[in-house]
Amino acid sequence: MSSENTDQIKRTEKISFTFDDQTVEAYDGETIAAALLRRGVIHLRNAPNSNTARGMFCGMGVCQECVVEVDGYKVEACRTKTSNGLIVKKVSYV
Amino acid sequence: MYDVIVIGAGPAGANAALTAEHYGLNVLLIDEGSDAGGQVWRVKSKSILSAPVTETSLKGDKLRQRVKSSEVDILFETRVWQIEQNEEHVWQLGLQGVCERSSVSGKALIIATGAQERVIPLNGWTLPGVYGLAGATALFKEHMILPGKNTVVAGSGPLVFFVASEIIRLGGTLSAVVTLNSRFEWLKAAAEMISKPGLLWQGVKWVFKLHIKGIPLHWQSALSSINGNEYVQDVDIIKTTKYGYLKRKLNVLVEADSVCLGHGLIPAIEATRLAGADHHYDETLGGWVPTIDQCGRTTVKYLYACGDNAGILGVQAAPYRGELSAIAAVEDLTGSTSETINHHNKALKSLGEEAAFGIAATALTIPKNGLIENIGKNVEVCRCEGITREEIEIELIKGSVSPNSIKSGTRCGMGPCGGRFCSESLAMITESITNQSREEIGLPTARPPLRPVSMDEISDELDYDELPIPGVSPL
Amino acid sequence: MGCGTALRASEGGMNTIIIDQSDMGQGASGVNAGTLSMQIKRVKLMPYAIKGHDMWQKMGQEVDFHKTGGYTLAFNDREADLLHDRMTMKKEAGANISFVSPAILQEKEPSLAQKIVAASYCPDDGYANSSLTGQYYRKRITQLGINYMENTKITQINETSTGYEILSGENRIQTKRILFACGGWLKEAVSLIGEDIPVNARVNTVSVTERAPRLMNSVIGHATGLLTMKQKNNGTVLIGGGWQGIGKPSEGRGKVVMDSLIPNLQLAKFAAPKLAKVRIVRSWTGFEANVPDFYPLAGKLGKRDNAFILGCVRGGYTIGPYISSLMGDYILGKEPEMPLFDPSRKFEQGKLI
Ligand SMILES: Cc1cc2nc3c(=O)[nH]c(=O)nc-3n(C[C@H](O)[C@H](O)[C@H](O)COP(=O)(O)OP(=O)(O)OC[C@H]3O[C@@H](n4cnc5c(N)ncnc54)[C@H](O)[C@@H]3O)c2cc1C
Ligand code: FES
Repeated sequence: MSSENTDQIKRTEKISFTFDDQTVEAYDGETIAAALLRRGVIHLRNAPNSNTARGMFCGMGVCQECVVEVDGYKVEACRTKTSNGLIVKKVSYV
Repeated sequence: MYDVIVIGAGPAGANAALTAEHYGLNVLLIDEGSDAGGQVWRVKSKSILSAPVTETSLKGDKLRQRVKSSEVDILFETRVWQIEQNEEHVWQLGLQGVCERSSVSGKALIIATGAQERVIPLNGWTLPGVYGLAGATALFKEHMILPGKNTVVAGSGPLVFFVASEIIRLGGTLSAVVTLNSRFEWLKAAAEMISKPGLLWQGVKWVFKLHIKGIPLHWQSALSSINGNEYVQDVDIIKTTKYGYLKRKLNVLVEADSVCLGHGLIPAIEATRLAGADHHYDETLGGWVPTIDQCGRTTVKYLYACGDNAGILGVQAAPYRGELSAIAAVEDLTGSTSETINHHNKALKSLGEEAAFGIAATALTIPKNGLIENIGKNVEVCRCEGITREEIEIELIKGSVSPNSIKSGTRCGMGPCGGRFCSESLAMITESITNQSREEIGLPTARPPLRPVSMDEISDELDYDELPIPGVSPL
Repeated sequence: MGCGTALRASEGGMNTIIIDQSDMGQGASGVNAGTLSMQIKRVKLMPYAIKGHDMWQKMGQEVDFHKTGGYTLAFNDREADLLHDRMTMKKEAGANISFVSPAILQEKEPSLAQKIVAASYCPDDGYANSSLTGQYYRKRITQLGINYMENTKITQINETSTGYEILSGENRIQTKRILFACGGWLKEAVSLIGEDIPVNARVNTVSVTERAPRLMNSVIGHATGLLTMKQKNNGTVLIGGGWQGIGKPSEGRGKVVMDSLIPNLQLAKFAAPKLAKVRIVRSWTGFEANVPDFYPLAGKLGKRDNAFILGCVRGGYTIGPYISSLMGDYILGKEPEMPLFDPSRKFEQGKLI
């Protein structure tokens, strides 16, 4: 599949970060959401009221569905870049 | 202080910035992306070192090169969260992101924030694996990655076919392509698009590609439900009437692990609204638009709007709209010259030629009346707060009729996205119950921040003794 | 407060209609921070606030009433003195206020700043959700069968031999009596019958965050009154304190400005440092009526026997339901339980310390 390195598409070196307990490989500099999608991880959080599963939706920083936690901040996974050793967590609501 | 600040570095904004710079003004261009290009000529992720060149990547690269080699100051990966104008008409913007500065000021402000997507809710639209059509294009252009292993593409307008063809190009599998539009509607649009035979031919090629690959193409049809618990498993496809009403009993069940869904683009007007401009409703332009003259002057002094946020006319028209609004700003700040007048006339003529195509494409996405039926009573219309259609209807029946009032009563639109995804469907539901026009229904009050912003990003550490205490409250 | 008075007048047998230029309860009463705090009430208004508080408590769930208790904080010695003097007076006026040591506060509210030098506590403090004000009153009013017209701006008022004729677009309404309860819009409204009152509008700013982990359990205030903060059950934090935006009631709903929003948020962050990582999702402004001495306006308008005015300054949300019931009684010709506030009084300049 073309989402990996191919003859035609050259990507950066692989790095790894964690999403909760999972270690995830990513191409250096790609967004958290893209890296997770490549690994088939698309369930990023549960909605606060209905508790339904949510993942990336608008892909451009508008809908806030892809929000994850990095260093205690809520960030848009579709716009936040990965880096080696980055610790990403699912958000939880009170 | 800058002479001109441009928010948005898509084809409209970037050309506005370059034009203003050409006339000797001191220009700042701001975008939340990592480079110029906007949605349509979106820059590739830094994780992609090389990839096959396409027409859009070429155009984007060319624009990026022009910006880079110009004198325009740039702030990328920077978001504007607040827009203010003081009594001397000077603009002051609050910034967040990687930039050092927390605010910046300028004499003229050109807003070129582009479009956002309209997605009309249906059962299952909140499942992981469902993407907006525009969101899917971001996956392709920025990341060169597919939404899933087998995908259904559904909705209205040209984006349906563009997304489907990109999935094929990137080697993905399509389970079905579902368009609300009929062949007849396309033919009608084509007649108006004939001024751009190249683009029209492009469209024909997309459809042809689907036929060759044997991908089921459902004309005048809609998804009635996306099914699955945690992930998308399958979808129900149903024929609709011309007006978008579902024809019961004729559904087809199709397996898929992902869905790309969208019902056209709508102008992203939060910034012009926050800046205080008047807006009106025009469905042929995608819905609510700032009220502007032909050069993009809004009703607020030194505030201009260009590009899709000023009405959906598409990428072909955008650069000319950018040029026109920059010329307007130049003329308002420094007076007109024969050069600006000639330039204005030329750009206006080109805009006229390009606009027809955009309007014909937008016409294909004007929401059909029947679509509203497809929002089941338990469907979450407000994704952030989980507010269902039924809850909204109860509030309407209790007597709330304006968006502000419904918001207060239900929390619909009070979540982190700020109502950007539900306000369209909320208005459609209100329309169906109260019979008011969209203009009468109006919009909720525009408030900052334009996007959620952490307290850290807004406010530096406080030197407690420096806190400007404006007088303690009375005893 | 217009709604509250209408309820009372209608219960007393008067045929009543409510007219609002916007949606019901979308003025100050629908956009304020919802603090029901005895500690921020003025000494002279304390008896009214206590009654008003009781009424909110009775409305209960329908307005999302919560009695959480509240702390008022002082971060330096000057503020500690201020806190001490003010709270002592409020206590004498009947509020259930005590002083707590920073150590005890730390135990109860561990996420608050370490730098607190003094604090006071009132167990009665709490909040309601002001967004639900309109919803609540609309329901009560419908139940009582009171007429109401929303999104109807009054454009002209004519005096007639029997009272007033109110004009709005095509609508003409004849009435014996009229009550102006137009909040920040009062000056403009009474000018329609040629009266002038020394009311201007304050433009108060409020912000709300997205859902955050539990940072506080009670309503938090600041000795200067420049911060109010509470975290709702859903985790969102509301931040107010009367920081001023810009704009006029005649021109929309006012605007938030960074010059006042930023210090407001800095102060909040100073009081609860963990807020630093929390995102603000919306900041807004609302208009509140203001007169030089900062007391309510409640009584007859000028020398007229059948025109009345009701406006509340600072803390009007808490007092609102009660003072409007007094106003209702007054219009019904009954003696109100507590004195009203003559709108024709001589206004002395109130002091801001
Ligand atoms: C942002 C903010 C925060 C606050 N926080 C608190 C708090 O935490 N605790 C507290 O106790 N108090 C608080 N207050 C004060 C309190 O909200 C007000 O004192 C109280 O709500 C005033 O009630 P009102 O009914 O008189 O005015 P409003 O609620 O403003 O109602 C006036 C109504 O009159 C209508 N009107 C005006 N002119 C016309 C016309 N010509 N024709 C028809 N209709 C018209 C308006 O549309 C509006 O609906 C706050 C105020 C604000 C603005
Ligand atoms: S997917 Fe919408 S904000 Fe990231």
